[in-house]
Amino acid sequence: MILMAYLELSSVNFGYGPSANRYEVLQDVNIEVNENEFVAILGFSGTGKSTLISLLGGLNLPDSGQVLYKGQPVVGPSPDRGILFQNYSLLPWLTVYGNINLAVKQVFPEFSNEEKKTYIQKYIDMVSLSGSEKKRPAELSGGMRQRLSLARTLAMQPKVLLLDEPLSALDALTRSVLQKEIINIWESDKRTIVMITNDLDEAILMADKIFLLSPGPKASLYKEFNVNIERPRDMDSLNLNEDFNSLRNQITACMVEFFQSEDNDSVEIELPDYQPAVFT
Amino acid sequence: MKFKLIKSLDVAGLSVFEPVVRLLWGEEPKVQIKKIGLYIVIPLLVFISFLLVWDFMGPRHKTKSGEVPTPKVVLDAYKKIVLFHDQEYAKLDDYNREGEDRVAHLTEVESRLRIVRDVLGQIRIALEDAENQFQEKLAKYLKPYQQVVAEKQKDYQARKAEVEGKLITWGKQLDVNDKEGKKDYIKAVALAKREFEKNEKHLKVLRTELADKKINESPELVTLRLQQTKLEQEEQFLVKRISYLSRANRSLKIEAAETILGDQLANLSNAYGDEGVYGLTLNILNSQERIEKIKKSSYAKPPTFFDQIWTSIKCVFTGFLIATFIAIPLGILCGLSSVFMASMMPLISLFKPVSPIVWLPIVFIIVGGFITNPEEAFISPAFLSTAITVALCSLWPTLVNTALGVASVENDHLNVARMLRLNLWDRLTKIIIPSSLPLIFAGLRISLGVGWMVLIAGELLSSSPGLGKFVWDMFNNGSSETFAQMFVVVFFVGIIGFLLDRLMVIMQKLVSFDEAVSTL
Repeated sequence: MILMAYLELSSVNFGYGPSANRYEVLQDVNIEVNENEFVAILGFSGTGKSTLISLLGGLNLPDSGQVLYKGQPVVGPSPDRGILFQNYSLLPWLTVYGNINLAVKQVFPEFSNEEKKTYIQKYIDMVSLSGSEKKRPAELSGGMRQRLSLARTLAMQPKVLLLDEPLSALDALTRSVLQKEIINIWESDKRTIVMITNDLDEAILMADKIFLLSPGPKASLYKEFNVNIERPRDMDSLNLNEDFNSLRNQITACMVEFFQSEDNDSVEIELPDYQPAVFT
Repeated sequence: MKFKLIKSLDVAGLSVFEPVVRLLWGEEPKVQIKKIGLYIVIPLLVFISFLLVWDFMGPRHKTKSGEVPTPKVVLDAYKKIVLFHDQEYAKLDDYNREGEDRVAHLTEVESRLRIVRDVLGQIRIALEDAENQFQEKLAKYLKPYQQVVAEKQKDYQARKAEVEGKLITWGKQLDVNDKEGKKDYIKAVALAKREFEKNEKHLKVLRTELADKKINESPELVTLRLQQTKLEQEEQFLVKRISYLSRANRSLKIEAAETILGDQLANLSNAYGDEGVYGLTLNILNSQERIEKIKKSSYAKPPTFFDQIWTSIKCVFTGFLIATFIAIPLGILCGLSSVFMASMMPLISLFKPVSPIVWLPIVFIIVGGFITNPEEAFISPAFLSTAITVALCSLWPTLVNTALGVASVENDHLNVARMLRLNLWDRLTKIIIPSSLPLIFAGLRISLGVGWMVLIAGELLSSSPGLGKFVWDMFNNGSSETFAQMFVVVFFVGIIGFLLDRLMVIMQKLVSFDEAVSTL
């Protein structure tokens, strides 16, 4: 039996701008994500990672190639594929409760008022924002905002969770707390997650599979790594894990390669041929 | 409490007074006092110096409506306006009073009138005395000057008689053929004539000097005169009140009409045959109609200044609401669709710069076409056309700002809407409009400011009974008192405009989500 990918990008091209002055962001990208898999997409900044997420989410459509979800081409965004936006995208005029309520009302219109209240409260508690229900995003810290954004996305109960650099704007402490939280949520309530990150350790810590993108423009899938480290993973013990270290070295080596290949492209500057004077 | 106050001040855009609040709570008194000095006392001093300059400059310019009024005169004019307002409302109340209330007021007013007349009588006597004294004093003062003039006149007359006599005698002695002699004679007469004219002129100058000579009236005389006018006015007012509490009172009029009706009914019940049952019945019906009419009648009070302010405020908000209902939907459409925006652009560019002075007559005629009977219309055409003119001139800032706000909704927010698959209505009401509210309110604020400015000009032209009409009436009246009352309008228009602006600032701050107003 051929296992069909749950979410798939097949030979996707995408670019911005008019044809005369076109900036190709992605070129011939092929990615397959299986159901209930936690996938990390790793790349330098400017490699079109966010574009990739909006293609998967359906916010943008590819110029050529196809985005397939359960074998069907994606034609637009859907609450089925919840996106956690990089800059939170919270609505500043709504409270914590209101922001989640907006999503819940849309996705579960059949809920009664009571049901809705307890349901929303559950997600507020899940990301430990209890007590801040009536605050507006402007009154929250960065970490709280990201947690709220996460709660909103989770409350939609998406089949696929698309995380666009969810933790990159946070301080190290908040970051590790949220990493654990995301993993907990994923483990307790299995679903497919695609996470974009520029942090290698984070990718290895969290993901089953890592896709490494080549640097843009015209970014493409460079290599695919499987992470076969036992869960639960812990950052402290991972540093001593051999699998972790070897995988990390492999990926780092690949990334260094990019730089070297870039160096090869660069024009070599002829150095003047001076010899040190010899005084005898 | 302190922070709530400070926050409220900030929301109201009155953060200048923040140091006062802080000082009251004893927070860093030195810093606060310095701030108060810099931002409250100095501006206050500037305002006072403005008043002083005005006070100094005003009387130095004479117009046909008298001198430019000083601040004190303007204040007095304001007091007059208030007095007029109070008196008219007292009369209105009197007209509607009935029963014991009426009687009680009547006795009260009558006793007051007696007092006023007593005092007035005393003042008149005192005034006569003072007047006589003043005249005596004046006569004494003028006497030397009058004597000088009289003497000069006498001198000149004597001189004239003398010269004329000599010349006439000389003329008689002249020979027929004495050409040289006649020539000399002409010269002499011309010389004499010139002298007479010069003397006449001198006399005239002396007389005008005399006329200009005067002494200031004593302060008691001035106060007595003022008191007299004031009391005379009060007397008139009280007499009017008595009439509205007695003869012209509504309840009494009804009573009288009902008595007549009763008689008529009695007549009818006794009437038969040739005694004109038909005519009696008609009379009864007429009487009934009359009673109904009186019951509905009210005192024909002329609009007072404060009534006119209220009309103006109603008018500006009517226009403002019309403008809002047109501008916001249009602005949203412009912001949503660039095609719509492009097709509206020519119209916006064409109509935006048109002056209210042009709009008003056009609107007035068009509205007049709809309201053919202004007496019975539920809204006065003058009021309506002013409101529409206000709307036409003030809708542009809201329109443009709304379009801008809607067009510049953050892409992230729109992406959320797309992910949630919100329909157009939800996208509008939950994402686009809330997000553009701060800009919309900024536009509304400008619109209301423009509307208030346009309103006064509009009322002035359309004679809608608001502040503009007040100015126009005062201008046409042309007395020095009404001149001062126009200055009162300046201050009221300014203060009300300021308050309207504050109102919009507060609303704008309440809808702007970046600042955490919710903690208020």
